Amino acid sequence: MEAVYIIVNLLVFLGLAPLFEGIIRKITAKVQSRQGPPIYQPYMDIFKLLGKTTINSADNWGFKFAPMMAFASIVSVIAFFPLANKANYLTQYADIITIIYLLTLGGIAVLLGALSSKNTYAMIGASREMITMIMVEPVLAMTLIMGAVKMKSLGIDITMFSINSVGYGWSVALMLVVYLAALQAFVGRPPFDISEAEIEILEGPFIEYSGPNYALFKYYMMLKQMFYAALFVMVFIPFLNTGIYIVNLAVQIVEIGVVFGFISLIGSTNARLRIDQAIKFYSVLIVLALCAVGLSVYGI
Amino acid sequence: MSADIYGNLLTAMAVLLLSAIVVPFFSDNRKLAGWLNFALVAIAGIILLNISYASIFGDESSVFDLGFLSLTGMMDMSNIAISIGSFKLFMLLDSFSAFFIGLIIFMAIMSAFYSMQYMEHYPDYSMKPFYVNFPLFICGMIGLVTLDDLSVGFTIAWQMMTISSYFLVKFEFKKAENVKSANKYLILMELAWLLVVVGGFLIKGAGLGDSVHELTYKLGETGPVMTYFVFGLILLGFAFKAAIFPFGQMWLPDAHSIAPSPISALLSGVMIKTGIYGIIRTFFWMVPHTEGAHFNGTFWGVVIATFGVVTLFIGTVQSMKQSDIKRLLAYSSIGQIGYIVLAVGSSLVMFHSESEFVKLMGLIAIVGAIYHVLNHAIFKGLLFLSAGSVLYATGTKDMNKLGGLLKVMPISGIIAGIASLSIAGVPPFSGFASKWTIISTNLLAGSEVLFLVVFGIIALFTSAVTLSCYVKFFGLTYTASGAEWNIKKEIKEVPGTMIAPKAVLTILCIVQGLIPFFYYTTIIDIFSKSQGSIFYHTFRTFDFSKYLDTTAMGVSLTGMSGIATSVAVPVVMVVVFAVAFLIAWALKNSAGSTERKADTWLCGYQDLHNLTRYKESNMFSALKSFLWWTGGNVKK
Repeated sequence: MEAVYIIVNLLVFLGLAPLFEGIIRKITAKVQSRQGPPIYQPYMDIFKLLGKTTINSADNWGFKFAPMMAFASIVSVIAFFPLANKANYLTQYADIITIIYLLTLGGIAVLLGALSSKNTYAMIGASREMITMIMVEPVLAMTLIMGAVKMKSLGIDITMFSINSVGYGWSVALMLVVYLAALQAFVGRPPFDISEAEIEILEGPFIEYSGPNYALFKYYMMLKQMFYAALFVMVFIPFLNTGIYIVNLAVQIVEIGVVFGFISLIGSTNARLRIDQAIKFYSVLIVLALCAVGLSVYGI
Repeated sequence: MSADIYGNLLTAMAVLLLSAIVVPFFSDNRKLAGWLNFALVAIAGIILLNISYASIFGDESSVFDLGFLSLTGMMDMSNIAISIGSFKLFMLLDSFSAFFIGLIIFMAIMSAFYSMQYMEHYPDYSMKPFYVNFPLFICGMIGLVTLDDLSVGFTIAWQMMTISSYFLVKFEFKKAENVKSANKYLILMELAWLLVVVGGFLIKGAGLGDSVHELTYKLGETGPVMTYFVFGLILLGFAFKAAIFPFGQMWLPDAHSIAPSPISALLSGVMIKTGIYGIIRTFFWMVPHTEGAHFNGTFWGVVIATFGVVTLFIGTVQSMKQSDIKRLLAYSSIGQIGYIVLAVGSSLVMFHSESEFVKLMGLIAIVGAIYHVLNHAIFKGLLFLSAGSVLYATGTKDMNKLGGLLKVMPISGIIAGIASLSIAGVPPFSGFASKWTIISTNLLAGSEVLFLVVFGIIALFTSAVTLSCYVKFFGLTYTASGAEWNIKKEIKEVPGTMIAPKAVLTILCIVQGLIPFFYYTTIIDIFSKSQGSIFYHTFRTFDFSKYLDTTAMGVSLTGMSGIATSVAVPVVMVVVFAVAFLIAWALKNSAGSTERKADTWLCGYQDLHNLTRYKESNMFSALKSFLWWTGGNVKK
């Protein structure tokens, strides 16, 4: 029976990720006094792209392999994820370090695709993407590590639900602020959409991608976005645990929707930073996150 | 250990010495000399691998009976020493040294096989010095991990290793800067030797040729200040050898990048590990345990772990800045050594802790250290052989000039890709398993010792930087573009004799990642069979299965035990990923999209050529300038 929850995980994520993307686009449009596309537009985009011709400028296997690798890595992460406070059959087989590395693998796939495409703009994007990964991954890691240190275990569900057993302290509050500040970078939204930067380097890593390959990358980005929103809900807002799976699931989906509202408001009201400015911002976040972990060791 | 094992060890070393004498006579016939060198190294190798196997797995009946060829007669088995008149040269061959013997000789065989073809691209250089020094170098390293003193035997082995490797590093002596780098290497290694030997003689009443066992006893009588000096000097000496920051930066990048690639593979893969061997032997074995001895385990643990964490961060960041492939790999060796040193140091701290939980983490951390020694030897060896293949095929190792080799060198490309994934610690490849162990033990022990969690986080952060190094290495060498305009000659895939050893190492990279628990149990076995270490008894009496399978690693499997769990975890990960990949593949092909070729689109620039492409010097430039203070910068 436990295996059912894996299927639910996948269905919820694969089914709702484009919807949340649609919400972001709608809200952004409203903020900018535009009509905006219908909320189901991202579904249409994916369907359309899947049928389009692939244009291959690279002529090597890395270029074709990369989108599938990116998609597969985020789907793997989702399979291990204890959505709705329910550890599924697979959760016990991995730990938080595995999750972090699997997320990184998705990033590597984007870089592989960009570098394989030979396009100069893609490589500029890849260089920026890698820098962003290096600088924000520690924040993600420390969010999870804080739970691990408290619980003396690296188990996925144990760390993610640590607040349930040890409560909210100053360290958690600080980490929450840091996570929210890093969220835009996790999901690649303004002011940290530096590696795609449509207006400046034309989607950077994805410039040469088209058709189904691009559909996979787009889907990957939406799923990743939803994962980070869901992780926030899971780690920092664990209060509404009713014990009934369906209710938990519904509550969490609503909460994820709220996080997306936050993402789109920040995204639509901020201008993009330069990569060198962003590095300084990230380094402050890293130091703050380290402080939070330090505080949590002392039980604060 | 039985007399046969020591006899065979001496025989194998004699074969290596014989090779150094005989093979140079044939050096004008390059093919013959290459095969002869390989054959003799392989013969010694088989004997040594057999010894290694028998000692690690405790299966003494499997030791070869070499009959009259076994040099058992030279051994004085009551003292386990070679007797020269009244003088005794003490030896020690336990599971721990057997592990290093196996590692050294295995990489030596791979390197010898690879160099047969590789050395062909030095037509202007005589092969004589190479064939004299190659077996001597191996023999020196074997000696260093088996001779058991800090004066005479140590000196013989160290000098044999250092001087022969000096000539190997200096192989391309016609370039003036190479000679300079090699000289620097020699001087610093002699300094390291001096530090260790002086450290040994500061022990109260230490005599020439005292075995480490005696030294440990005498160390118990040495005063507190002197004890700090002894350990400090020995640590410093081995720190030079192991290339710990800031000592490694003084010689390693220069020496490792100029040596012929199969030699670089040995230098980075195994030679610097002899420094790690020395550190572990000193701080876990040569520890006085008598009443009133002055050894402060926690203090030395903190010192070593701090060195480790600084080394891994600085080394890896410097590696990210390099544009020369071999310099990138060399700096990255410093970074990876940092992980090992961190694990050794933090293990020492944890083991001297009061808490049972932290103590247990200490045991697992040292297992992680040895596991990373093994993994790093394999993938760094493989990466240097890959760099050698690039150099062989294109004649350059400058990433600004390379790019797009995947199309012309597909097999080498895939191999380099797997090696890069391994060192970057991507699951399920080998680097992941050992870094996972090192980082997770530090994080978990950090729940009681704050600085360890900080070290663990820095190590985790650094593994993202490692990833960036190898994304750059693979991306700019094998994918991207550039070689078509900058390399004048026709680029071809390297010959099969160069691919074969790389293929073997590639398979190991995958195997070592897929069955980590086999390696855990083997390494635990090694420690529980090697007498005299501070945690010998703990390792013998502790039941790891419960902890390794459940708590420590965060995977808590019910209804499974032992080997089933060990295989289950990586296999599940691979299966999940494979299924996810199939979903992706099905989605991609769901609408029957067709494909057509087109040129790269550069938004108005006419086409992609040497002036419009993206070069290495631009890669990560913002991060490079943000981290300029770590040094190792490359001038534009």
